[in-house]
Amino acid sequence: MILPNLTLADFLPLIPAIILVVGACILLLSEVFLGANASRSYQAVLTVVSSVAAGAVAVANMFEPAHEVFLGFGVLDPFSSFLTFVVCVGLGLAALSSVSFLRKRGAERGEFYALMLFAAAGMSLLALSNELITLFVNLEVLSIATYALTSYLRRGTRPSEAGFKYFILGAFSSAVLLYGAALLYGATGSTKLTDMVGPLSGALATQPALVYVGLILLGSGFAFKVAAVPFHMWTPDVYEGAPTPVTALMSAGVKAAAFAALVRVFLTLGKGIDPHLPLVLFSTLAFLTMVVGNLLAIPQRNVKRMLAYSSIAHAGYLLVGVAALFVTAPGEQFRLLGPSELTGGSPVELARSQALRGILFYLLAYTFSAVGAFTLVSVLERREDEEKGTAWDLERFSGLAQRRPGWAVAMATFMLSLGGIPPTIGFMSKLLIFQSAVDSGLIGLAIVGVLASAAGAYYYLRVVVYMFMRPVPEGALTLERSWSTELALVLATAAVLVFGILPGPITGWLQQASSIFGQ
Amino acid sequence: MSFFDTHLLNLVVFLPLVFAALVLMLPAGEAGQIRAVTFIAMVVDLVFGVWAYMRFEPGGAEFQLEYRVHWFKEFGLSYHLGVDGLAASLLLLTVFLGPLVVLASTTYISHRIKEFHLALLVLQTTMLGALVSLDVLLFYIFFEAMLIPMYLLVGVWGAEDRQMAAVKFFLYTLVGSLLMLVALIAVYFISSPAGARSFDYSSMYNGLLDANRQLSACTAGPPGACDSLTGLAATLHTYGPWLFGAFALAFAIKVPMWPVHTWLPDAHVQAPVAGSMILAGVMLKMGTFGFWRYAIPFFPVAAQQARPFLATLAVIGIVYGALMCLAQRDIKKLIAYSSVSHLGYCMLGMLAVTAEGATGSAYQMLNHGISTGALFLLFGYLYERRHTRLMADFGGIAKVMPVFTVAFVIITFSSVAVPGTNGFIGEFLVLLGTFKSDLGAAAGNPHLTMVFGAFATLGVILGAAYMLWMVQKVFFGGLTHRENQHLTDMNLREMLTVLPFIILVGVMGLMPQPFLDRIEPSTSRFIARARVGTPGATVETEQVRVEVMGLPAQPTAAAPSVPAPLAARAVPSPRP
Repeated sequence: MILPNLTLADFLPLIPAIILVVGACILLLSEVFLGANASRSYQAVLTVVSSVAAGAVAVANMFEPAHEVFLGFGVLDPFSSFLTFVVCVGLGLAALSSVSFLRKRGAERGEFYALMLFAAAGMSLLALSNELITLFVNLEVLSIATYALTSYLRRGTRPSEAGFKYFILGAFSSAVLLYGAALLYGATGSTKLTDMVGPLSGALATQPALVYVGLILLGSGFAFKVAAVPFHMWTPDVYEGAPTPVTALMSAGVKAAAFAALVRVFLTLGKGIDPHLPLVLFSTLAFLTMVVGNLLAIPQRNVKRMLAYSSIAHAGYLLVGVAALFVTAPGEQFRLLGPSELTGGSPVELARSQALRGILFYLLAYTFSAVGAFTLVSVLERREDEEKGTAWDLERFSGLAQRRPGWAVAMATFMLSLGGIPPTIGFMSKLLIFQSAVDSGLIGLAIVGVLASAAGAYYYLRVVVYMFMRPVPEGALTLERSWSTELALVLATAAVLVFGILPGPITGWLQQASSIFGQ
Repeated sequence: MSFFDTHLLNLVVFLPLVFAALVLMLPAGEAGQIRAVTFIAMVVDLVFGVWAYMRFEPGGAEFQLEYRVHWFKEFGLSYHLGVDGLAASLLLLTVFLGPLVVLASTTYISHRIKEFHLALLVLQTTMLGALVSLDVLLFYIFFEAMLIPMYLLVGVWGAEDRQMAAVKFFLYTLVGSLLMLVALIAVYFISSPAGARSFDYSSMYNGLLDANRQLSACTAGPPGACDSLTGLAATLHTYGPWLFGAFALAFAIKVPMWPVHTWLPDAHVQAPVAGSMILAGVMLKMGTFGFWRYAIPFFPVAAQQARPFLATLAVIGIVYGALMCLAQRDIKKLIAYSSVSHLGYCMLGMLAVTAEGATGSAYQMLNHGISTGALFLLFGYLYERRHTRLMADFGGIAKVMPVFTVAFVIITFSSVAVPGTNGFIGEFLVLLGTFKSDLGAAAGNPHLTMVFGAFATLGVILGAAYMLWMVQKVFFGGLTHRENQHLTDMNLREMLTVLPFIILVGVMGLMPQPFLDRIEPSTSRFIARARVGTPGATVETEQVRVEVMGLPAQPTAAAPSVPAPLAARAVPSPRP
């Protein structure tokens, strides 16, 4: 047996995940010594501190040059570091919003935060996996933690149903993904992405069916995780049934990590095959996801469910950016904008780096807006109404502007940001995505996206209508304030507005982060 | 240029926002203080706005009082402000309406006073920002952001069907402007090569200019001459009409032109008096301003081809609006439809592409802001007293409210363009410009010019008919309703809000020259730029190019403004 010769530098990309796991272990161990009535407020603080520390390390890693680690099983590149940063942002905000949520339900336990940290560690590792088995294992680490979190409030029927549904369908999709990976291994004789590229073109000539089926199965597995139509069926039920802070983490973190793995796998393997396949695959998915997600969100009166459909729609916009990555000659296939001599230089590479930048910025923007929105949903809900299904009704938002103007303004900001209205970060991120789509010649997709987001404005505005234009209902519940939730709201609102007006600092980083290993 | 000059526009635009922060800190119960602070903000803004208008030299550069800094460098975005003659005039109109809107709402708005004034102040900033932006994306951001406070104004403080009207207004405008965003991004990509791309007005316009000229030259040639075009001109030949269509749709919805005007009657009827005044006074002008500044200069060839079509829509709007007015029983709806008719004149004058027509169009934009703004204001006072909008509920009001009647009649005269009022000058110039134009030739038959002119003139006659008919039914005759016998006449505050409008009606009607002086340089440039699209027209070349100030020198010149290709950066690079 040959032991690999690992150096300390190999562990550099793992540090954020290590910090998160250490935090989780401390939480689990300390929980053992606590009595039933002991104060557990340190747990959220520890979670936030771990996520801040991990995020800071990730930002520092962003300036390292891209290289392989662990004999090519993982990579350290700015792309994965930025995604770790996004995950940490989502985790920190979700942890802040969990404090009063759990306290209201008497469910404060160390396991909750520990599971969140484990999930985040899985997400961070998924972003840097460069080998199919590593990728699968990390995907399972994050999935199993989120399955458990989904049914954390196990006394209700909804969390149990959601957890069970998520588990069964999640396991099925993991199996699909694994099957695809196995077929590709059969075709190429390797599981390391970088080693697969060479044999792939040879295998394509001899056994095209094997390669295509493998790639499509792999794509379907990822499409399930990012909740792309037609693999979205689980999303509304699971998002609705899960504890709201967990929904927030799922909508932001799981999506970001799954997109990272998807982009890395297909961008690397795409070099060995005809780029038309991923282009057609992702354009179709993007089209369906944007249209269906937005249309299904329109009739929802349940805000949490509406946000679940909206998260599907946002996966669609992100898929537009992914599709733009695979356009090899701008304007050629689509003949919708000028030939490439107009854009000059090396248009394909430039367009690709812009698309990558758009995707990353979009993920960050969506994290701020969606986690903020879910935080507000969580403060308005009440345990007793969950069974009746009225806990998240639009009626809950009636007259919020008179009762808690600050909350109403924050929620309005998140809604406008999700709807892509300036001057919010949501507008800037849509701008970057559609800009890269237009640049790649995917004008049709950009127009569909723009019209779909106009339809989206309708249901986001409805929340604003209820908050600002409806009277306070009779017998409205008292709204309790808590410092941690308000801190999360203030941070998210400030980020949405500041980066919406001055995106400079973030895009400066993205200048770095849009370089992905091996491209 | 002194420090003050370079920052004057910043001050005008963001002063309301600064005061909004101040209002935010006041307790919600202090209605008097909130109103006072907002009023002071608007008055101070008026002073600076008038100052900016005075500083604008008609003979000087196209864009004056410019201010430009880097904003979002790698994206080619700069924060760039500046005004030309038309923008300065509309800016004056906006700051003029500001304090009057606050005064007009003191008794009309009785709940959620703090939020109302915050929305007014934010709205003021976004409208002023859209007028003075010289970066197209910055304009777009203000243009969209404007919707949010207006949506709240209609939806929170409006009449009974306010929520429907607010959502309809928002979505209608949003669909148009989102399509424009795609077209805008496409222009961004095609107008300059990679690395030099920018959203700045000058670089977008100048980047398209040569291609527009080539395209225009070949459309004059034999059929098929344009098929041999290359590069940008070929792109514009194929996609120019679509891009122009996206821009035109967005602005046509805002104007609003027939048949995309249907949001306007709802929004106007439901909006509170402040909302109606601002909507009619300033926001509709964003549509005509957009055609003037962006849609037509960017795509003169496509605009030239679409001119007869758009002019037909404008004429239909004029006549249709007037006919709808004749059929209304609701006074506010009547004023709203009269806006559709009046804005039709603005569009027709602009599309005539003659000096008289364009000048009249610009003047008519100001007139409409004043006369329709005043009509909504006056009707607001009547509504506060009677809480009904139906003509049939009034009659003989002149007996109990003589001062009010005098004011209303004067404004009506302005609206129907009686000589001696401002309306006369605008409409006369528009009609003159239409009759002198080549609209008929562009449509295929030179005699059609007369048809456009004749229908537009018909609109003037109909306009007099519906306004005077309404005045007669509301103010004259016997007092048929008992409720109307005890109506009180205008109080001092109300008179003070109406007086500035009446003064302006007279001043702009009798001494138009100072106002026209500032519009004139914009007009000649607009004509020159629109003429680029007319085959065989002589174009004054020095008028066409857009000259603006450059970006300030970059202290960190080391940072490349273009992202290096991916392959170049994936290899190990030194730590920054």
